[in-house]
Amino acid sequence: MSVENKLSKRFKTSSRFFPLHALAGLLYVSWPAAVVWSADEPWAETTAAIGQTEVMPAGMLGEKELLELIETGEQLFSAKFTRPDGAGRPAATQAIIPTKVRHRTEQAFARLPGPDAQACSSCHNDPVIGGAGDFVTNVFVAEGFGNANFDTSDPQFSNERGTNHLFGAGLLELLAREMSADLAITRREALDNAAQRQEPVKVELLTKGVSFGYLTAMPDGLVDLKLVDGVDDDLIVRPFSQKGVMTSLRQFSVNAMNHHHGMQATERFGARWTAEPDFDEDTVSDELTAADISALVAWQATLAPPVQIQPDDVNWQQAAATGKSLFGQFECSSCHKTSLPLKSLSFADPGALDVAGTINTTQVESPAIYDLALLGWAKDLPRNDKGEILVPLFGDLKRHKMTDRSVAALGNELLSQRFVGRDIFMTSELWGIGSTAPYGHRNDFTTLDEIILAHGGAGRAARDAYLDADPEARSALIAFLKTLVIE
Amino acid sequence: MGVHFSLRVCVPLLLAGNNLVFAATASDPLQETPATAFPYDIPHMQEEAVAAGIEHSYRGPWEYFVGGGVASFDCNADRMPDLFMAGGVEPAQFFVNESKKGGPLKFRKIELPGLSGRDKTRVLGAYPINFDNDAHTDLVVLRLGENLILKGEPDCSFSKANNELNFDGGIDWSTAFAATWEENSIFPTMAFGNYVDRTAPGSPWGTCAANILARPLNAEGSLPDYSEALNLEPAHCALSVLFTDWNKSGQPSLRVTNDRQYYRGGQEQLWRLEAGRPPRQFSSSQGWKPLRIWGMGIAEADLDQDGLPEYALSSMGDTMLQTLDPDADAERPTYRDAAYEKQMTAHRPYTGTDLKPSTGWHTQFADLNNDTHLDLFIAKGNVEAMPDFAAFDPDNLLMGDGQGKFVENGAKAGIALDTRGRGAAVVDLNADGMQDLVVVNREANASLFRNMGAQTEWGHRPMGNWLAIELRNGKTNVNAIGARISIKTGNVTQSRMVQIGGGHASGQLGFAHVGLGVAERATIRVQWPGGDWSHEYRVFANNFVQLTKGQPEALYWYPRER
Repeated sequence: MSVENKLSKRFKTSSRFFPLHALAGLLYVSWPAAVVWSADEPWAETTAAIGQTEVMPAGMLGEKELLELIETGEQLFSAKFTRPDGAGRPAATQAIIPTKVRHRTEQAFARLPGPDAQACSSCHNDPVIGGAGDFVTNVFVAEGFGNANFDTSDPQFSNERGTNHLFGAGLLELLAREMSADLAITRREALDNAAQRQEPVKVELLTKGVSFGYLTAMPDGLVDLKLVDGVDDDLIVRPFSQKGVMTSLRQFSVNAMNHHHGMQATERFGARWTAEPDFDEDTVSDELTAADISALVAWQATLAPPVQIQPDDVNWQQAAATGKSLFGQFECSSCHKTSLPLKSLSFADPGALDVAGTINTTQVESPAIYDLALLGWAKDLPRNDKGEILVPLFGDLKRHKMTDRSVAALGNELLSQRFVGRDIFMTSELWGIGSTAPYGHRNDFTTLDEIILAHGGAGRAARDAYLDADPEARSALIAFLKTLVIE
Repeated sequence: MGVHFSLRVCVPLLLAGNNLVFAATASDPLQETPATAFPYDIPHMQEEAVAAGIEHSYRGPWEYFVGGGVASFDCNADRMPDLFMAGGVEPAQFFVNESKKGGPLKFRKIELPGLSGRDKTRVLGAYPINFDNDAHTDLVVLRLGENLILKGEPDCSFSKANNELNFDGGIDWSTAFAATWEENSIFPTMAFGNYVDRTAPGSPWGTCAANILARPLNAEGSLPDYSEALNLEPAHCALSVLFTDWNKSGQPSLRVTNDRQYYRGGQEQLWRLEAGRPPRQFSSSQGWKPLRIWGMGIAEADLDQDGLPEYALSSMGDTMLQTLDPDADAERPTYRDAAYEKQMTAHRPYTGTDLKPSTGWHTQFADLNNDTHLDLFIAKGNVEAMPDFAAFDPDNLLMGDGQGKFVENGAKAGIALDTRGRGAAVVDLNADGMQDLVVVNREANASLFRNMGAQTEWGHRPMGNWLAIELRNGKTNVNAIGARISIKTGNVTQSRMVQIGGGHASGQLGFAHVGLGVAERATIRVQWPGGDWSHEYRVFANNFVQLTKGQPEALYWYPRER
């Protein structure tokens, strides 16, 4: 179904009424009396899916409830939000903490600081909705506190980033939650041991075969984190964004809705935190409810993971098989781990790891729980002898320094992001890479060969192994990577 | 000098001695704030003193109408706040915190073997301090009679150290305490505020005892020598003292709030302290504007983040909020009152039918809902049975509205009890990141409120994010008394001063708490005692962190869970 058809369908089923300001569009100017839209007007310039999920889902969701939630989430993801919906944020910056602008702008859109898109799917669309985006969809990431209205792509004001795909995102979040829980247990056990033995206890932070360095627990409950590596000091594995600084799809959705569309979620921008129901002062209050965000999360969390295809071309088959072997030999898999084991497919939304500003489990009576096993794609996931699902992400959910003195192409940012240094990035999951050119955090690289050669720092040894290999081997590795696609 | 009520719409109610009392009319704009006007979370403060093992009252005749303090500090190295409570004619009691993270409050009473039965009684208040720079927190105990300096030892044991320190505890009626580390000193300078001199002719009217300034004589050794304490005179019946860097000079002055009930010709005071020189009181020619109130408690906070602190002064009737006047400068401490414009006069009970002026005691700024806006707690309660003042006088919880004003939410929070509060502490007692409240009540059991978070239809939910920050200054002044902590989230900067003093006979030592709202991380800078600024520490929300001078990394602390 096309986006347009879906929108038409939603308009017919919506029961909401929306005011329309006749001059809504490109400029924030004084508005005449509002048009009141009716749900039975297919031409309504509002998004019917907003508010369609009337109550935040809770408890174990059955298949029917889940599919309805997913359907609404897809509509929200593909909706072109309008001024009557609340699109635009004339008085708010893109910051993740509600922040007023110092200088209001007249335009509804602004290519650099945002809002920079009318729909999520405006960027996440390659090869299909939920996918990645070409260079033209790059976004400009800045904190949005000072210099929020920057008008240059000079990297001293923002980090330019490509659009990631979202397929398999639910599995990534589940993996990160389990890893975070493992690390918390390791820390707790170290603290208990230190208290019992009355001496410092140093432990490795190891989860799912990924080492995040070491911590030292003191008998008095203090923890020395100097040797922690690739994860934040709170030991929460944050699986989303190029830097690995977003905890959950829920948090990312709330952030992105404000940043890219000026659609503000009540759970962060509402009166509970800002004392204003209309923080961005666009005359629309409480633009996205917690239930709306739940629907968005459900759609993203249930997106099928990318797959490895068996090409029709026999030569490609052979080359890919060779390349798969080389992937290990070159030690690409030291970071791009072929799979990580996952214990449970039960996805709780909200999750436990978010903090105030994004609803978490402590903020609701009962979170919604949906079993990803209900979805057809889940049946195809391999399992290990423990019954754990082997999530074929080709990643480790860990951050690494990606530059060194002689290979520094990925060190083209100037600003750290959320305490993460400028040349440190989370291992990019390679699943779907065959469908998501261009490559690199800024979409700078047109070929896989280029991005492999750009690996410095922690990726330098694998890169050098690739560089030292003969052209046929290099070709074979790429043949393998090209089989990792979004279907 | 006239009476300093700032009610804009009021009618004279009665004249009683020199206490001119006003009561607000029904059209008082301060009372018109609609019930739904406060959009932020209101904490549900659940009283659970008895269940928690706290059975303690502050009792006694006239000399114990004031005082009734509580000291909150860790005495057994588990970083959980333990409580020492003044008992008046009853023995002071010590309660060790056995609460678990996020759980019900639980305390175990312990005996104080280092104290004689005599020393345990006639106690009015207490302040924790580490005067000897060792691993154990010490305690200054204010008494009707000899004040005590108790040296902290392992596992919540103490020994009386007056003799070792050459400290003369005096015979006065001591009601206030503050301490600071003066320039280059390895030991603290201590100020004791004294109340009425009962032995003077004509007592109690116009017979205020001298306050005491005890400076260490030695610059080395393991213990300070306080053998030559100074009398701070004139004195005007102090009920709270606080060393404060009012002008950002790096050199704290001593703010004294005094009770006009007994002084003659007195006023509020600010003493300039310069190392090696006698203290000098700021005079009117130096910009100090005489202010006469029933000063009971001092709370300091930099509400407008200009680096210059404001002071909430509890009194009878209006609470005052002293802020520097535009006429002030670094040498002229000219203050004006801003309580009315900030809607925090809290001049009469906010609930019930008693419209008489209320009586404020302990004051403390804290962020009880972690929304980044400071709130003000005021313990309230009639002196004893003063007919001109409210008999039902519930404690206040004035919550910051983010616009520079305050909204009373004491009743909604659940702290509007019919008690006569005195000393108090707003402190996280169960390591859940939400600040709890203990109030010592006169002639009634203490109140112990657990902050449950925001109440919902299905239970409670946590409020905003938070940080708890412990400073380590090094070998001297180990708790970094005098440090300023600057916490930045987005475009918001908050600050906390690490101090010993103020409140009403009640001191605290432990984590500095700050609410972060929806921020998931913060950057912290510390201006250490002596003035050096730290680099930026980058920390994640909802954690306890320890920052040590000279150390590049924050250490995280985790409370025991079993």
